[in-house]
Amino acid sequence: MSQRCVSRAAHTAFSAMHPSVPACYLVITLVLTMAAMQPALIALSLAGGLAYGCCAHGVRETLHGLRWQLPFVALVALVNPLFSASGSTELFRIGTRAVYLESLAFGCAMGGLFVAAALWFSAGTRLCPFDKVMALAGNASPVVALMVSMTMRLIPRFVRRGRQIATAQTVNARALRASDALRDRLQLTTTLMDWGMEDSLETADAMRARGWGAARRTTYTRYRFCPSDALALTGLISAGVILGVLAWSATAQYAFYPTMSELVAWWGYAPYAAWMLMPAALHVREERRFR
Amino acid sequence: MTGDRVADRTAPPSCALSIKNLSFAYPGSDEPVLRDVSLELERGAFCLLVGDTGSGKSTLLSLIKPQIAPAGERSGSVAVHGHPVEKLDDAQSARTVGFVFQNPDNQIVCESVWHEMAFGLENLGTPPGEMRRLIAETSYFFGIDDWFRRETDTLSGGRKQLLALASTLVMQPDILLLDEPTAQLDPIAEKNFLHALFRVNRELGCTVVVATHRPHAMVDYATCAYRLAAGRLEPVEDMDELRAHPALPLASDPAPADAPTGETLTASRVWLRYGRDDDWILRGLDMVARRGRIHALVGGNGCGKSTLLSALGGALRLQRGSVRTDAAVTVLLPQDPRALFTQESAGEELMAWSGRLGYGKKEARAMLERLGLGACVARHPYDLSGGQQQLLALGKLLLAKPDLLLLDEPTKGLDQAARAEVARVLAGLRDRGATAVMATHDLDFVAQVADDVSMMFDGQLACTDTSEEFFRGNVYYRP
Repeated sequence: MSQRCVSRAAHTAFSAMHPSVPACYLVITLVLTMAAMQPALIALSLAGGLAYGCCAHGVRETLHGLRWQLPFVALVALVNPLFSASGSTELFRIGTRAVYLESLAFGCAMGGLFVAAALWFSAGTRLCPFDKVMALAGNASPVVALMVSMTMRLIPRFVRRGRQIATAQTVNARALRASDALRDRLQLTTTLMDWGMEDSLETADAMRARGWGAARRTTYTRYRFCPSDALALTGLISAGVILGVLAWSATAQYAFYPTMSELVAWWGYAPYAAWMLMPAALHVREERRFR
Repeated sequence: MTGDRVADRTAPPSCALSIKNLSFAYPGSDEPVLRDVSLELERGAFCLLVGDTGSGKSTLLSLIKPQIAPAGERSGSVAVHGHPVEKLDDAQSARTVGFVFQNPDNQIVCESVWHEMAFGLENLGTPPGEMRRLIAETSYFFGIDDWFRRETDTLSGGRKQLLALASTLVMQPDILLLDEPTAQLDPIAEKNFLHALFRVNRELGCTVVVATHRPHAMVDYATCAYRLAAGRLEPVEDMDELRAHPALPLASDPAPADAPTGETLTASRVWLRYGRDDDWILRGLDMVARRGRIHALVGGNGCGKSTLLSALGGALRLQRGSVRTDAAVTVLLPQDPRALFTQESAGEELMAWSGRLGYGKKEARAMLERLGLGACVARHPYDLSGGQQQLLALGKLLLAKPDLLLLDEPTKGLDQAARAEVARVLAGLRDRGATAVMATHDLDFVAQVADDVSMMFDGQLACTDTSEEFFRGNVYYRP
């Protein structure tokens, strides 16, 4: 793999499409991942999430994530038998409680499902970053989008002001000889509030000066929805429905208890795997184009 | 869309702004702020409105924009292109009269540059197609296209103010009102901003009115100037008088350069950065401040002056190096004096530390009088002017009887009178044998007040000289 795959990539799958396309893909993927309690499907989703993670966030960062993900799977696997003592293959006993192979396997699958969902959420931050979520929200409700934008603007200012107050307090507290850390912290909050309120009066004036509330708001759209996006959406949704049926039948035919059903090679896994590996494949295709 | 616009750009020059016999008094006050003010401006004029803080410049500007006008007793008329301003609805007003405020941070509403540019047009319900065109055009005019997708919080002060100007002009107003637009900017950002404003005026034909107490950088661009004093508006006949740098009355002579003074503050090989992956802000910086002198730190925006002050005050953990001082009491005046305020009135503010420092009401009262704030004792600190706030914060710190006073931009946004007062306080401190270290952009203040000057560059002090020597050697960096 080239150096580019090791570090964080700037552009990735779906980046040239309307935000509703990656959003739709993510929603379907998360629903499939979280609803399909079947080892093969979980493994496929996990593989897809890991592959995309390696492409978008870099191999090293994705492997770093495994440092908490693998112990987490182990933990769920070990804890599950303590709560559900069912199954038929007894491995050993802790006191009077039997630990069954099936129960352990169910725990493993459960842990794997959680990790896969976490990986897809983290993929979501790259596939559909905050500004694209806001663009979608802006179409639905311009006022909510503006409020979120204003709040996001306030947070760093708040932090900066807080730091300025804390710095002055730290230096001046030494001059005050008798220091009173608790009172200083309380006063920091008061000062921060007063200061913020005072500034927001001027912000309100600036908003009014620029015609706030003058008419029904429109939205500046940076992403245009074009026919190819509609086509992609239709494709994704119909594929999602088919995969849903496949995943449902696979899950219905599989049981952990009392004995685990046998996994057999099945054509239905192929489209499921293709779906899960799609972002990674798109990413690699994008990489190739610029090589 | 242009139907709501009250003036047609292609019409022959006419009276863009006409104020007739305007008087205004705040509620509960007998003393009017404006008395019988009349003003006529032609289309395309660049008008300076000068006068000290509290002379009513901001009030006059805001009366042209009823959406932000204060409540009070008003008489007389204000008309834009012959239309009385109170008859314009919110949308017409936004398309006709633009307003840019002093503080770049407070007037930016949205999180990202593109959303800020769109904010006004979204308010007016502009159709998406026209909005895209206007935003594209305006972004090119101001060279915003390079940072169109940035978050507003990551911009420098100068760019923030440029964005405030652009996001007002995207609505294509005929008249632009600016209230101290460059008071919070460093000299280079100020020149950039004024240049953009000049182009708006000359290339777009937009009528510009700027209220300012420091006109010298703007004189070259202005076509006329008026002075507001004691509520009356008088034309300034000789524009050159606005170019002057008035002298600051100092209570004492500067400390002689060769006086045998010891070192009170020594920083050696200071390395500092905030986060693990951040760039170094201080790179092996060495600095010496001598006792009983006023030491100025100058340098561009974001060169690390504030960080250095925090480090000198011991508020930051250094990665390497050391800061030593023999000063028993070190205090820091933050960039915004409001960071120090915790009480409900100016009087209580000065008493806030009385228990911990062991002084009484008498000393606090005397301090207020000394700073000329005697009349403000019962007022809320936030109701004071910027200059009064700065002096109140200084007074609070002086009551701790500091040996070392660290000041971050002590003259930012202050008018001449307040700057002179700050200069007097610093000179008094020096006479007592205390030391002041100030980070500032105000080179005129440095030239008149500081004994030693260091220029900060690339995380180090590029040079340290006596004030005279420093300005004699500099070609570009001078008041």
